[in-house]
Amino acid sequence: MSFDLNRVIRGRVWKFGDSIETDAINPYYRHPTMEELKQHTMEAYRPEFPKQVKPGDILVAGRNFGCGSSRPGLVLREVGIAAILAESVSRLFLRNNIARAMPIFMAPGVTGIVQDGETLEIDYRQGVVRNPASGASVALRKFPPLIEKIFQCGGLPEFARERYLAETSR
Amino acid sequence: MGQTMAEKLLSQHNLAGKPVRAGDILEARIDGAMCHYHASQPMYELAVEAGFKDGLPRVWDPERIFVLVDHHQPALSQALADENMIIRREVARLGIKCFHDAEPGIAHQMMLDYGLARPGELVVGNDSHTIGYGAVNAGATGITRADMFYVLLFGELWFQVPKSIKVVLDGRHPRYPIAKDIILYLAGEHGDDLAQNMSVEYSGSLVPELGIDGRMCLSTHGVEIGAKFAMFPADEKTRGFLKGRTDKPYEPLVPDPDAEYEKEIRLNVDDMPFVVAKPHQFGNVAPVEEAAGTRIQQAQIGSCANGRFEDIEIAARMLKGRKVAKGVRFLISPASQQVYLQCLKAGLIEQLVEAGAQVVTPGCGVCQPKVGFLSDGEVCITATTRNFKGRKGSLGAEIYLAGPLTVTAAAVAGAIVNPKEVFNEL
Repeated sequence: MSFDLNRVIRGRVWKFGDSIETDAINPYYRHPTMEELKQHTMEAYRPEFPKQVKPGDILVAGRNFGCGSSRPGLVLREVGIAAILAESVSRLFLRNNIARAMPIFMAPGVTGIVQDGETLEIDYRQGVVRNPASGASVALRKFPPLIEKIFQCGGLPEFARERYLAETSR
Repeated sequence: MGQTMAEKLLSQHNLAGKPVRAGDILEARIDGAMCHYHASQPMYELAVEAGFKDGLPRVWDPERIFVLVDHHQPALSQALADENMIIRREVARLGIKCFHDAEPGIAHQMMLDYGLARPGELVVGNDSHTIGYGAVNAGATGITRADMFYVLLFGELWFQVPKSIKVVLDGRHPRYPIAKDIILYLAGEHGDDLAQNMSVEYSGSLVPELGIDGRMCLSTHGVEIGAKFAMFPADEKTRGFLKGRTDKPYEPLVPDPDAEYEKEIRLNVDDMPFVVAKPHQFGNVAPVEEAAGTRIQQAQIGSCANGRFEDIEIAARMLKGRKVAKGVRFLISPASQQVYLQCLKAGLIEQLVEAGAQVVTPGCGVCQPKVGFLSDGEVCITATTRNFKGRKGSLGAEIYLAGPLTVTAAAVAGAIVNPKEVFNEL
């Protein structure tokens, strides 16, 4: 699924704390299928999340979001999360989101400009996150060109296929 | 300006053939790829999603890919047995040479047992604790499944060169394992993301005293403090460990004396208390006294962090002439068949069973979890990798992390306690 980094994303915010782990995002040892996961993702922190999250919502978190294992956070896309914004993101969670082209942005200071339930606007091209209600904004970190290209391709497996086809059709 | 271990590693593996510095993005040549159970179904699904309708069309080098069934051996359900069948089919189809199937154990321990990660190599694995091979000076790190898909096809992957942290360990090594206390203490003092995206280089006068088992605990837990690499220098102990396990030549990574570090952290272990990580985060660390008196129903030693000989030996030594407290389930799981055999030959397993401990088949089970689930209100103290809420079943259970000595003391006392109060011989 290709993702256009330059599309402005606007959505209602679900706000979480620091060091939210992949066990909470993707508790697949307790809930092995995607349908079950969708009923339980993030319940360790906010039991109402799986029931009340709506397509287009934005997840805002503190530092070290997605720490723990190398499990992907695909379930967040499945329940409709349009983008993740965090003060900082754990290395493997970031790699997962890049490799599966799921929008994730590091924006230091973002937890200070938005309350739970408010709306945020993410403008990657301008490199800024805004709270339209309060007018507050913070900068988001741009990705290097190679990573932008992986997002454009729709993820690393898709990027790999393009390369493979180019190499084998010579 | 000189280079850190990580800068040397990635410069040597840079496909563009030129030196790189912290912050640079590069595409690197991979020396070895560890795939555990996710090598099958998810790889197939990723391939189909990407447009390869028959699955992965090839692997870049069948001799550099190591497949270990790991988490799902022996199979716990028919669904997992079915998945293991797909792994066997794929390994045969792709011609992968190194396949550990009918052998229980943790992939990371087996990678080291079989000498598949060597000093100076860039080794990746689709599991976060792959970083543990840094114990033998390998540049090892966890990657994601989709990253592994790319590696399997091309033997290459993108990286950002990490900044490095120098962790200098000094002090005298006591007569019991202290690696777990060290890493928990560091996480407590400096935060659970103290090395976020960085490379940790261990040095100091304690390092030569640390055995390979203790180094593996510290390197494995690199990921719990956010690190990309967590490396030890290669020394006599490293060479001794590798002897007989690999006959391939290797060139250790040695940092330049004028290498640039983001920060330096010093710890003298003589001043370090016994610590625990309280529920539900790795960095929620306190001296053991702060949790003393907390009743426990389960105690555990195992996993890629603490399922090694020195971890099990200390439990057996302390349990000699003592019993596990009534009602406490004390689960001990060697990390691999080789570790299990080593423990058997040393008579440890007999001592443990006599004292009332339960031995669990080598593997990820006690940590993952697949055995020893907890119910509401239960408390477990464990020398394994993680204590997240719900990690062992109920969201209403509490998990404390501690070193194997502190875990054994709690198993004997039935409650969390300073080990020196239980074991007067220390």
